[in-house]
Parts: sequence; structure tokens; C-alpha cells
Amino acid sequence: MYRLAWLLLLLLSACDTSDTEPESWQVAEALGGVDDAGFARATAPRVFHFPRDHGPHPAFRNEWWYLTGHLQTPDGRAYGYQVTLFRIAMQADPIISPSAWRSNQIWMGHAALSDLQAERHVAFERFARQGAGLAGGQSAPLRIWLEDWQLQLDAEARWQLRIATEAFNLDLELIAESPIILQGDQGLSQKSDAAGNASYYYSIPRLASQGTLRQAGEAMQVAGLSWLDREWSTSALGPEQAGWDWFSLHLQDGRNLMYYQLRQKDGSIDPLSAGSVSNRAGMQQILNAERIQLTPLAYWESDGKHYPVEWRMKLRDEPQPWRIKALFTDQEMRLSVRYWEGAIEVREESSKRLLGKGYLEMTGYE
Amino acid sequence: MNRLLLRSALRHMQRHPWQTWLSVLGIALGVAVIVAVDLANQSARQAFLLSAESLTGKATHQITGGPTGIPEELYRELRVEKRLRQTAPIVEGLVRLDGETLQLIGIDPLAEADFRNHNEGLNDQAARQFLLKPASVLLSSITARRLGLEPGQDLGVTIAGRQVDLHVIALLEGDNPAVLEGLLLADISTAQELLDSPGRLDRIDLILRPDQVHDLTAALPAGLNLEIPESRSRVMLEMIDAFQINLAAMSLLAMLVGAFLIYNTMTFSVLRRRRLLATLRVLGVTRGELFRVLLLEAILMGLFGTALGLLLGLLIAEYLVQLVTRTINDLYFVLTVTQLIVQPLTLLKGCLVGLGVTLLAALAPAIEAAGTLPISALRRSRLEQRVRRGLPWVGLLGLAALIGGGLWLSTSGNSLLGGFSGLFLIIAGYSLLVPLGVALLSRLSERSGKRGSLLLRFALRGIGANLSRTGLSVASLSVAVAATLGVSIMIVSFRSTVADWLAYTLTSDIYVSAISSRASSSDTTLLPETRGLIQSLPEVAETSTGRRVTIRGPQGPVDLLVLDFASNTQQGFRFLEPPLPELWTGYQRGDQVLISEPYAYRYGLGTGDRLTLDTLQGSLNLTIGGVFYDYGSDRGLISLSASAYARYWGDTGYASVGVILQPGIEPSAAMAAIRKALTASDQQLHFRSNRELRDYSMAIFDRTFAITQVLRLLAIGVAFIGVLSALMALQLERSREQALLRATGVTPGQLIRLTLLQTGLVGCYAGLFALPLGWLMSEVLIEVINRRAFGWSITSQLPLDAVFEALLLAVFAALLAGLYPAWRMGRVSPALALREE
Repeated sequence: MYRLAWLLLLLLSACDTSDTEPESWQVAEALGGVDDAGFARATAPRVFHFPRDHGPHPAFRNEWWYLTGHLQTPDGRAYGYQVTLFRIAMQADPIISPSAWRSNQIWMGHAALSDLQAERHVAFERFARQGAGLAGGQSAPLRIWLEDWQLQLDAEARWQLRIATEAFNLDLELIAESPIILQGDQGLSQKSDAAGNASYYYSIPRLASQGTLRQAGEAMQVAGLSWLDREWSTSALGPEQAGWDWFSLHLQDGRNLMYYQLRQKDGSIDPLSAGSVSNRAGMQQILNAERIQLTPLAYWESDGKHYPVEWRMKLRDEPQPWRIKALFTDQEMRLSVRYWEGAIEVREESSKRLLGKGYLEMTGYE
Repeated sequence: MNRLLLRSALRHMQRHPWQTWLSVLGIALGVAVIVAVDLANQSARQAFLLSAESLTGKATHQITGGPTGIPEELYRELRVEKRLRQTAPIVEGLVRLDGETLQLIGIDPLAEADFRNHNEGLNDQAARQFLLKPASVLLSSITARRLGLEPGQDLGVTIAGRQVDLHVIALLEGDNPAVLEGLLLADISTAQELLDSPGRLDRIDLILRPDQVHDLTAALPAGLNLEIPESRSRVMLEMIDAFQINLAAMSLLAMLVGAFLIYNTMTFSVLRRRRLLATLRVLGVTRGELFRVLLLEAILMGLFGTALGLLLGLLIAEYLVQLVTRTINDLYFVLTVTQLIVQPLTLLKGCLVGLGVTLLAALAPAIEAAGTLPISALRRSRLEQRVRRGLPWVGLLGLAALIGGGLWLSTSGNSLLGGFSGLFLIIAGYSLLVPLGVALLSRLSERSGKRGSLLLRFALRGIGANLSRTGLSVASLSVAVAATLGVSIMIVSFRSTVADWLAYTLTSDIYVSAISSRASSSDTTLLPETRGLIQSLPEVAETSTGRRVTIRGPQGPVDLLVLDFASNTQQGFRFLEPPLPELWTGYQRGDQVLISEPYAYRYGLGTGDRLTLDTLQGSLNLTIGGVFYDYGSDRGLISLSASAYARYWGDTGYASVGVILQPGIEPSAAMAAIRKALTASDQQLHFRSNRELRDYSMAIFDRTFAITQVLRLLAIGVAFIGVLSALMALQLERSREQALLRATGVTPGQLIRLTLLQTGLVGCYAGLFALPLGWLMSEVLIEVINRRAFGWSITSQLPLDAVFEALLLAVFAALLAGLYPAWRMGRVSPALALREE
């Protein structure tokens, strides 16, 4: 939920240290430390209207469209992918200008592909301002685009994702297999006690996905399962928070689990950490820190950052603890901001029986 | 080497400090001029290249547009549809600030990462301000320091005539802040707003793989070009080549005068010591030793003069680089240079020229000194005899060089270098002829001066009798004077040609134009209704429109002069040769163009030839209807009718309106009426009367030649020192003769008069001999050098004041040079001076 806010905080700190390549100067800076003034706040549950709410909400400062998923080719090659389109407003008021380039909105895109057999992960990043036809969003019909990256929804409720990078092209058609899940309190995901420090957050946990993956001149048919997260908000994270771990799991029994754990700087877990378990019918159970226990088991190091790539997850209502493991370790996003986001699998700890697959995002590790 | 010999040489230099110092100063000035011009030239080029390089960044290619720029939609197409990831849009413009021009570059920081890294240190607030707040800019840190500006302050500038306050949010440092001098960086939206050009880009930078180039070239819309940045900079630099070569040649001219000076000094120093040298020879000093010690003497002076010259050169260059930059800004492109870029090569060049020329000039006297026999050297009359006998041969050699120079000029084609070498050969040849001329002239004047006073006869005779010295002095003096005369005739002729051209080109009474903010490719157009508003005034008889845009010609970029005439009485053009009979109908129809003389000269085109232009409708083959005189652009111009331009480029804009008033209407009254008629439009306009525009153009002309004037003054300085040192040597060398005169009863006063009379006469002779050479030089400069460098023809003038000035310079310098010896001679006791006998 605070995904973007975290990214931005990290972007800022990444720019202070000179160990990263100076990517797109100013971009990072321009996105950080934006004043809340004038933006709309998520203060109370709202009524969602779909498909309109799939489109952008420019009155809020940040917003994103987040897709992760597992794909297989007919001959059994397996891939994980992540595509995120971020909308970031640098100020609340839109600017009137004769120039099409003048805009208060900037779009950022991340796209990554994990080749699970070859254990190879590639990640790409894009920035563009909204305007001059380079990036933007509309809700009817839904179209979100950042240059040649695009997410669309047609009248038959088919989502279309088109991504072209220097290493791979991905064209997917996604059809929801489960209803929309409103996270938190009917879609209001509270961040702290202060009113308005919250986001609107919904997910479509299960999207049957099929399409074409092109890599090194080779076109492959792929099919699998994706997860869409949608969130918009204005307020930023508190200074006491250090990072977070976000899990999304497709379980083979048809359930879907989302849980984010907020880590405090003192090592404790923020009581606002939350999530949900839902079934195919959309029945939903709220998860909070009391209902779930997460223990890191093994770490992988990258440039001094120690990412826990293996976890024990114990749900209060499950008899057996689960073992969650990265399908391979190096799925780090080395972009303007460095974080880990990759394909995982979940097994029953005792029997090692495969329970499902999913995605894990870890930020704020040192 | 023999220490004794060395000491004698040093002692000699010490005993004649005037001569030594004047020579050193002469060398120093010569070296200084060369070094200064080279430094100024190189600094301007380097500044241009470095800033071009830093602005180009890592781009391998650039898409550039025609007069209307590039539609920004193309950028989206390239990036989104053609998936060319490494692309960056650029908007360029000019911003004026108290007579200074700054370059405004608009970028999209989100697309810049692959290309440039202008600033690392923007904080979040500044970065947002850059993207969001109108009129926010980053300013070159060097420029900011120069202007005394701090980040956060406002910078009041004029853009296209509008007063705008720019907010300087931070300073641009970069790896090398100097190359960003004069640069304002803004977000692309800010730049489009400031330059009032929404939807338009000036350039798209790309990083392309070789295999992408062909496809992209084929896919580009008509009128747009895919270029390699280096070739673009090269074309820009070629524009200033001729200008810079000319400057360098002018500086060489100063050095040439300096060389004569050194030669003169060395010869005198040998002549003065012939007694000592002969004695040394008698005592057993070998020729080789003598030769070496004399060369060493020259080297010492050369070293000293060169070192001084380098220092002086650096000082002069500081000033010169401003003049060079201003001319480049006036005539070619916007460039800010505030730093001298001192390249070791330039200094080395200065050293080589300084020492080389000194040695070369000293070679002949040294050989001469080493070659004379001990006995004969003692006898002065022997020397004079030999000189007299040698005169015809020297004269013959001079004649040969003169003819050779002339032949070289006529056979070296269009080569500028050939032109200059021919010119130098002519100067050398002429100077060799001068001693013969002096001999003839003195014989003539002795004959006619027979009935004059004794003093006059003494003076006249003295010149003829001491030909070994006077011949040399007159020769070097006349070369020096001629050089300044030649340059000044050239400038005067050029100026009057331009004034004449302006008089018949500017046919309207009043000119109204938009104030431009475009960095290149086109000037700002007036609002479409402007002409109609002016035309409807009762004071106005007729109007015409004009515009200048840069398009792509067969040989790279060329300026297109787009004209819509007032009526069919087409005035304002004069043709080199009769134009095609149906020219004006063809011109209006758009199948005939006019080209300017420099363009015709440069590309060997003439009336009736054909020309191909790249238009937005594809390429266009046109007939050249006529070649017109033009002094506005040394790159050349093509003129096309407004209707044809509108047809082929889809652009009906015009940048200026020429207004012809009804008979009897006062321009000032009409100007007020026009101003009033146009007040409704918020466009900033220039209103200039014919007179004002002419004065303005002449002011630019004079500014352009300011640097030539400076070089001419420096050459005069060298010449003056040359005259001073030559004549002073001449007189001092004759101290014994003068002592003899004193001893035979001539009073000090008479002696002073005699000395001044004689130097005055020498100056007179030199002035007279300088006149033909000066005229010859001006002819070569006008007919050969200027033509080859710029392609225009200049009508020669013979300005009497310049001639007078040359004569005056020669005589004045000569008289001044006579003062010290005369004063000294008046004081020295004859007995003392005669004791040697």
C-alpha cells in the first residue's frame, strides 16, 4: 500500500549517495518531498464505481497500477513478471499552459521479467511527463500508458497489457477470474491514526493471463495467472518506518492472500501491517499482525543489502506453517531505487507440498 | 664559443640600448599580434566546439528542421511508435540582456539521462520548480558570477522584444563550467512558453545504432534532416573560416613588417661594427666564429622579444577575443567566449615565428659580416661601391619576385592561402626594388636641388652617398607604411561599397520588423494582419514584405531571402550580369530564383544555371534568374518570392514590412501613425526609418572592422618602431661624419637642422615609395583576398586622406627618429667624436 511512498523515500536517499548511476537527473528529486497541500485525502470509505475507478484519480498525489504474475510456455518454461505504472503529481493544481509539455503529473514505469529456469532477472524503468502524448491515463475506455507501455480495458472486460523493453516484449490479455477485492475497510486502507493518512486500495487477485512473450527474436505463447493491485493516496509514510515486505499468493485451493508487513526502524513490526485472504467467490477475511506471523529464514546479499529470500509464514487459522521461498535469489530491481521484487513459491513446511505461487516485494533493506 | 667575442657582442648591445630595445620591442609586437590573433581565433573556435559538444552530449545524430522547426508530434512518434528509446527533444532560442545574448535551451529532463548531465545538485524543491514554475531557469555558474547573480534571484531579459523576468533557481556547474558560459537551461515547456512556440521543437537528439540510421532517414517527413552533430558543428565553423584566416593573415602582415625591422636592425648593427669586425678578423677570428656570434646576438634579441611578445600577446588577446566574438555574433552565430583558451600550440607558433623570423632576418647581415675581407671592411667607400654595384641585381631579383607574385596570384585559383603568399611575394619583391628607387630618386633630387642651400645639398647628397643604409631604411619604412595604407584603402573601399549597396537595397522609407528570439533557422514572423493594417493607412503608398530563413540547399544550409515586392518596379537589386529577360515573371511564379554574388562565387554558379532546393513538398529544381550584389552574408543568399515559398514550405509568415510613403509624407509622422495602427497587437516591433536602418547596418559594419582597425594600429605601431630604429641607427651611425662637419665650423643648430632635414627626407622618400605598394596591396586585398575569402566584389576607392595619413606617418616618424641623434650630435664635442681618426 505504501509502495510508492517507499519508492520515493528511497529514490531520495538513492540520490544522496553516489553509488547509483545518475539516472534521469531531477526526476527523483522532483518526485520527493511533495507538499500534501491541495491534494484530496482518503479520509473515509468511498463508493467505488467500476470501470471508472480503474482510471486515474488526479486529485490524489500518487497512484499506481501494479501487475505481477507467473507465466508458462506450452513446453513448460516458466517466467515471472512485474509491471507497474505509477502516476505522481508534483503539485495539486494542474497548470494551464500553451505548451503541451507543461504538466504537474509524471509517470514512472517499472517492468521486470524473471526467467525461472535460467534464473535470470531483467528490469527496466521509464519516466515521462503527462503531456505531449507521451504518457497519461483515461478511464472511459480505460487506457493507461507510458510511451509504448500500455494497459487497457476493453468493453468485454478484457485487460490488455503491452510492454516493450530492450530485452523482452510482453503482450498479455488478462481476464478476471475473481471479483474485485476492496482492501482494508471497504477499500480504505488506513496507514496511521491521523485522519486522511490512508489510501484507497483494491485488488483483482486472479486474472487468467495469456499472450506472447518475445525474447531474443523468439516469440513464445505464454499463459498463467496475474494479480492486479490498484491504489491511490496522498499522505506519506511516517519517519519511524524502515521498509516493508509485501506478499501476494495464489494458492492452489483457489484462495488468494495479500499481506504487507511494515517494519519499524527499531526492528518491531508496525501494528498497522495488514492484508486479506479471499476465495474465488470474493469472500474475504482481513489479516492483521495478530493473525499472521512472519519469520525470515535465509538472506541474500546484494551490495550490502540483506534481503530475506526465505520466510516462514504462520497463519493463526492454518494448522501448518508455510515456507515461502524466492524461486531464485537475484530478483533485485536495480533502478532509480533498489528494491527486491520477485517470483516466489509457497510450500507446506512439514510435507514440502507445493501450495501455490506468488510475488514478494521487499523494500528498505540495508 | 669564444668568451671574448661573446662579451664584445653583449657589450655592443649594451652600448646601443635604443637599437637593442627597439628591435626587441619590434619582435615582441610582431609576435604579440600573431599570438593574440591566434589565441582569439582558437578560443572562439574551442569555446564553440566545447559548448557544442557539451550541448550535444552523447547524441550520435540530430534531427533538425527547416524554418518552421519540427512538429513535436514527430518526437512522440519516434519515441512511442518507432520505439526509439534514446531520443531527447530540444527547444532553442535567444535571450537578450543588456547588449549581451544568452542561449536558452529547453530540455525534457526525463529524456536527458542518456545524453547529458548538466546538473547533479538540484534539491527536490528546485527540481519541481524547474518542471512546474513558468520562467524558471538554470543559469551557467560562470555567467551568473559575471552578472553578480545568486540562485533565487530574478534575471530581467528581453525575449523577442518582450521584457521577461527569469527566475534563476540554481546554477549550472557541469564538469567544465566554462563550456556552459552564456547558457540558460529550462524545461522544454518553459522554453516553449518563453519563446512563444508551443508545438514546436528545434532539434531532436538521438543515439542510433548504425542499422537504424537508414530507416529513420527514409521515414523522416520532407524538410527534416538527420544529421551527425559533428558535421553540424563543422558547417558552423566553416562559416567563420574565411573571417579567421583573414585575421591570421593580417597578423602575419604585422609580423612581416616586424621582420623588416629586425633585418634593418641587424644590418645596422653589423654595419656599425664593420670596423670592429674587421679588426677581429685581422686578429684571427674566423668567419665561422663571427657568423655564430652575430647569430647568437640575434637569438638573444629574438628570445627576449619573443618572450615579451607572448606576454603582450596574452594581454592583447583578452581584448581581441571580445572583438572576434562580437563579430561572430554580429555576422554568424551566437557565441559567448569570456575565457581565453591558451593552447600550447599557439605559444609554440609564436615562439617559432618570433625566433625564426629573427634568425632569418639576421642571416643575411651575418653572412655579409662574416664574408667581408678584413681590409675592405675597414673602408667605408668600398662598401658603398659594392652596394651600388649590387643594386641592379637586387632590383632585378625584386622585379622577378614582383612578377612571380603577380603570376602566383593569377594562377592560384580560389585558394586564399595562394592569395596571401602571392601578396607577401609582391611585398618582398617591391621592397627589394626600393633601394634602386632611392638611388634614382636621390640622383634626381640632387640635380634639381643644386641651387638650394648648402644644408639641403648636404642632406640630399647624404642619402645617395649612404645607400647601404638609406636604401634599407626607406625600404623597411615604406613596407610598414604601405601595409597600413593598403589595409586602410581596403576598409574605406569596402565601407563605401557597402554604403552604396545599402542605399540602393533599402528602397522603403520605413521598416517594421519583429524582434527575433530564434537561435537559428528562421526569424520571428509578424502577426499576419500587420501588413494589411499598415497598407490601409492614408500615409502609405505601398508595402513589401521580407523574411530570412535557413533552409537546406544543395551544399548544406543556406539562407533564403523571401520577398514580396511592393509593385513590379523591382528595385533593390543590382546584377553582376544582365539577368534573364523574363526574370521577374519567373521569380513571381516561383520557378526562378536569385542568388547573391558570394553564393555564385562559392559554388561556381551563374545566371541561367539550375539549383535544387529541399522543400517540404520534396526537392525543387529552379533556374537562377540573376546574380545580385550582396554584402550581407558571406555564405551567400538565395532569394525566392513569397508566393513560391508559401507554396513549397506552407508558410506565409513574414518578418518585416517595408513601407513606401505617399509623396510628401514625413517619415517621422508616418512612423507615429504606423505605431498607432499596430498598438493593438502585443507583439514587440522594431520601427526603423531608412536612415536608421542604414546607420544601424553601417554600425555593424564598423564593429566588424573594429578588429581589423586594431590590427592595423598594431601594424602601424610596429612600423613606427621600425622607422624610429632604422633612422636613429642611420643617424647615429653617421656621428663621425657629423663630428667632422662640426669640426669644419658647422654650428650645433645647423647640425640639428641637417639631421632633421635628412631624416625628414628619408621619411618623405619612404612615404612616396609606400604609396604605390599600399595601393597595390589594397588592390590585392580587394580583388583577390576578399573575393576568395567572402566572394564579394568591392569597388576600389583611393581615399586621399588615407594617402595623406601614410605620408604624414612616414615623415612624422622620421622626424621623431631624428630628434635624439640630432640632440646628441648637438652636444657631443667634435674632438671626442673624431678621436678614432
